[in-house]
Amino acid sequence: MTARHLVLVVDDDPDILDAICDILLAEGYRVVPARNGLEALERVRAEWPALILLDLMMPVMDGLSFAHALREGYGNHRIPIVVISADGNPARAASIGAQGYLAKPFDIDTLLVQIASMTAGESPAAPA
Amino acid sequence: METGPGPTAAPEHEVRQPDRGEVSRNGEAPGAHRGAYLGFVAHEVRNPLSTALWSAELLARMPATERGGARGEKLSAMCLRSLARVRQLVEDHFLCERLDVAGLPFRPEPLDVRELLEAIVARRPPGSPTIELRIAGLVAVEADRILLERTLDALASLAGREGAPVIVDAATEEAVVRVTFSGHPGTWELLEDPRKGSPGEPRGRALAGPLARRATAALRGALRVEEGAFVLALPAPAYTPRAP
Repeated sequence: MTARHLVLVVDDDPDILDAICDILLAEGYRVVPARNGLEALERVRAEWPALILLDLMMPVMDGLSFAHALREGYGNHRIPIVVISADGNPARAASIGAQGYLAKPFDIDTLLVQIASMTAGESPAAPA
Repeated sequence: METGPGPTAAPEHEVRQPDRGEVSRNGEAPGAHRGAYLGFVAHEVRNPLSTALWSAELLARMPATERGGARGEKLSAMCLRSLARVRQLVEDHFLCERLDVAGLPFRPEPLDVRELLEAIVARRPPGSPTIELRIAGLVAVEADRILLERTLDALASLAGREGAPVIVDAATEEAVVRVTFSGHPGTWELLEDPRKGSPGEPRGRALAGPLARRATAALRGALRVEEGAFVLALPAPAYTPRAP
């Protein structure tokens, strides 16, 4: 049931956040936005999303720190991460164990195909 | 701190532009600083370019009857706002590049600082921080109009970060014109070249500081940060232009 999956979108740029949320809502996804890594950790605790779209360069807590905190906090309970970045460096996404990388500006359809393939099936179980 | 030769005595800490390919003091490889700077510029352009493309595409996919609705209006506004950010970044970037290679012809002319600042205030987009001008009498400089306008506009943007109201004082003291921009507390780092890894700037003014620093040097002026305010010092003209 793709339409019911919850996607956490993390980006410090308010227009990027708004645009991606708009795209996903129009496709039937549920979305929760966060403006930095710290907010994203709070959303993970509260909502346990099926997928995280993660920018890397952000104030307060950047994407790399967020990914490390997520791994330390939840161990094997992995939520798939797709890095969405304008830095043009997919190696940084690989370094945090992200399952996907999209370089801004990416095509809308590319984003939707990536999300659909990574959220196929049941949502990952939240830790007890 | 201060940059540029300036109309005052030699500054205690003078900052100059590193030559292209120069090895930095912290041992970076040649070109590393420049590469990081260009990476930052590319990063800053890609973000608003993304939202401009996405919002235009979403509008194109939307049935014509819905484009006038709330979502259509939101996407149209996002597209225009994003394109304005791209334009600002592109203009700032190429002005910085041309200043770096001394590739701009200058046309110095007598200018009224109040007139320039009032024009900048009038051009501010809706929702911009307020700018209060405190200028007693005629404050005149001799400078290239476009370059000085861009410098004043960049400094007003820096002082107006986080939506802070801006106060601009301008006065002639002896042979020096001082224009002070007070608002959000400023630091010297804001005038230096940003490095890749910095978060984005949502108004497209990520290069305002580097632009102000380069343009001030080209204007043979000086730029200081004093108690959180940006202070632009320019040589007063040898004669006073007619009041408008």
